[in-house]
Amino acid sequence: MENFKNSPLVKKLGFNRIILCGVLVLMYLLFSIIEPSFVSYSRIISALNYAYFLGFLALGVTFVIATGEIDFSIGPVMFCAALIGGKLFVDGVPMGACLIITILVGLVFGLFSGFLVAYMGLPSFISSMAVMMLSKGIGSVFTKTQAMSWPQSSAEGGWYKSLIKMNVGGTDIPTGLIILLLVAVVCGIILNNTKAGRYILCLGSNQEAVRLSGVDVKKWKMLAFVICGTLAGFAAIAYVGSYTIVSPGLGDTFNNDAIASCVMGGTSMSGGIASIGGSIIGVMIISLLQEGILAMGFQKDYQYVITGIIVLVAVFADVRSRRKKN
Amino acid sequence: MGEVILTMKGIDKSFPGVHALDHVDLEIRKGEVLALMGENGAGKSTLMKVLTGIYKKDSGTITYEGKEIEFANPRDAQAAGVVIVHQELNMMNHLTVAQNIFIGREIMNGKLINDDKMNKEAAKLFDRLNIKIDPTEKMGNLTVGRQQMCEIAKAISHDAKVIIFDEPSAALTESEIEELFKIIRDLRDKGMGIVYISHRMDEIKVITDRVTVMRDGSYVGTLITKESTKDDIINMMVGRVIYEDPKTESNVPKNAPVVLKVENLNAGKMVKNVSFELHKGEILGFSGLMGAGRTETARALFGADPKESGKIYINGQEVDIKNPMDAVKHGIGYLSEDRKRYGIVVGKSVAENSTMATMDEFTNGPFINKKKENDIAQKYVESLKTKTPSVDQLVVNLSGGNQQKVVIAKWLVRNCDILIFDEPTRGIDVGAKSEIYHLMNELVAAGKSIIMISSEMTEILRMSDRIMVMCEGRVTGEIGIEEATQERIMHAATLRK
Repeated sequence: MENFKNSPLVKKLGFNRIILCGVLVLMYLLFSIIEPSFVSYSRIISALNYAYFLGFLALGVTFVIATGEIDFSIGPVMFCAALIGGKLFVDGVPMGACLIITILVGLVFGLFSGFLVAYMGLPSFISSMAVMMLSKGIGSVFTKTQAMSWPQSSAEGGWYKSLIKMNVGGTDIPTGLIILLLVAVVCGIILNNTKAGRYILCLGSNQEAVRLSGVDVKKWKMLAFVICGTLAGFAAIAYVGSYTIVSPGLGDTFNNDAIASCVMGGTSMSGGIASIGGSIIGVMIISLLQEGILAMGFQKDYQYVITGIIVLVAVFADVRSRRKKN
Repeated sequence: MGEVILTMKGIDKSFPGVHALDHVDLEIRKGEVLALMGENGAGKSTLMKVLTGIYKKDSGTITYEGKEIEFANPRDAQAAGVVIVHQELNMMNHLTVAQNIFIGREIMNGKLINDDKMNKEAAKLFDRLNIKIDPTEKMGNLTVGRQQMCEIAKAISHDAKVIIFDEPSAALTESEIEELFKIIRDLRDKGMGIVYISHRMDEIKVITDRVTVMRDGSYVGTLITKESTKDDIINMMVGRVIYEDPKTESNVPKNAPVVLKVENLNAGKMVKNVSFELHKGEILGFSGLMGAGRTETARALFGADPKESGKIYINGQEVDIKNPMDAVKHGIGYLSEDRKRYGIVVGKSVAENSTMATMDEFTNGPFINKKKENDIAQKYVESLKTKTPSVDQLVVNLSGGNQQKVVIAKWLVRNCDILIFDEPTRGIDVGAKSEIYHLMNELVAAGKSIIMISSEMTEILRMSDRIMVMCEGRVTGEIGIEEATQERIMHAATLRK
């Protein structure tokens, strides 16, 4: 076991991530045995619906958690962006502009959250809750508490759906997955190969030491929130791409799923350690659970129980490995 | 002369790598104030911690009221009547005075806390001390001086027979000190044995009856306060033999230009009107006792903490340093006394830490050039002789001395001209220590200038070309290495202005 853990390939991929992939595969096999319909292309495509938007949320919040902060506003911000984009389309704004504005709404919320935490010095736990309420409220007010329906793929402006799913000769191609993975690769490069990522991770590890090295810590912390907000804007498009309709006043449950994905994937809640690949695997596990639990005829509550247990195990492993180091 | 109430004899205590107490004796008498004096690290606090059961002694005996005892913990000691009034007040600001005094032993009315009774009991304690404090006031609303009174009230509420004051006056104003002394005299006249730990020579003369001096974990001797002079006490405090040869003359040429000039720097309570000059190629030592404001001065200069006023000139040009970014831009590097908290990012590698302050030189556009980064880190690992298996090693896995070298590498990569070394060898073993000294000498020979804050007298005398001495936030002495002696430095370090 120790040999396996220390082999260069395993070190590169990360032991925990390999375990997590194993969990993902086992889960799929388990569901397939209990519910044979699981072994079908359409079932997998359907499970991915949940993964697209959750993937963007999780990628974004990975950056925030890497700095040692937290953001509980991403789900509602995603809904707020989708509501505003949808309303504008209904009011006659062209689809292309609506998509850009949707992303911008996320970005602005990210700027705002980052400003509060980095420059005003508010604890992100509380400030992000406030932003969560703000975004819920703003979304509702903007649409006069109406649910917003984005166009179906056949309708005018429905081309945005092909960003998530493209129908080629009767088969659905998951374009959303391709885009999500591309964005994940970019995120991985930002986190591991750029100055921004380096400082974001170091901030989470020891902010004061970084500041005393003459680094503009506020700027980099703010950037993490901006990345997170912008990706919440991406998530908004992915959400309506899958589900078409958004309702005001919702979205908080997705925070939990996104943060749970990160923690499962090996991102440390105390900051400094983050894994983009891990977050994506976490997203896949949660999405598969969601689909599997529903397919087996259980209520969503069971998914919460299982997710809760997995997160506890992941956090426990994180805390224990850190205690060992000290 | 009072009757002996507590005797410590031959107390010995070692921690891994440190012989903290070496057969120390102490005698506390009823109706007497005993001063316990010594430099930083002389072992005063350790001795008191052994007495009150925070540490276990390795050998020696403690006799209290005629019986040999060993307290298992501070609670035991309190119950027996031996209490400490700590320098750092252990108070909860949002609780009332009475609630604080009775914390952990609340007066109960069945299952409920009886606040009325506690208020009455607290008022009685204050009556005994002859001071007026409202027991229902929130602790946070009191001044530090008044909070200290509450701590004393808490102490006597345990029926104390021995009270230890650990630098009680450090945060007090003149009039508060007067009030404190009145209370101490009162307690003394009631027959309590009192230990008074302080660095302030003039207070020692006023309030104490005898002085016990410790040095490097050993008992040096005891004097009758009335019969001794300040110089007698200082000589006992510093009278150690310096094994490593001290520097005898400055290596800085007479006409060396001033690279840094600080004028009337003020920051918070700990930095008051500090002025000094640093020459090219000089090691300027900053000496002083704990709480002298040296680290605070360095942090204010570096922009790590806000400053209220003062001018800073670098190479004759006035500069505005608002934060560490500005300081680094002007070529100042700061090696903190607390490496783990302020120096290194422990979860990151040697290479990542080495380039922390200089990232821009190791990037192509937004991307980090890891090869270039590793090369420079490797170069400094070799030149500083840092012991690490590779530059990818996480610094958390290195020893203290090697971590310090990584921090030094960080500032050398940045090519800083002015380096502030705050306690550069704290927690570093002897071998690595002399390597760091060697390195500092090489740096100044290459034209860098160093401010070295150190609480070790030997280090100050061995490394500095010139010595600034601080006491309570002010510069109280400037001594060239040619005239520097331990006595002169200690004199200035206890000089209250």
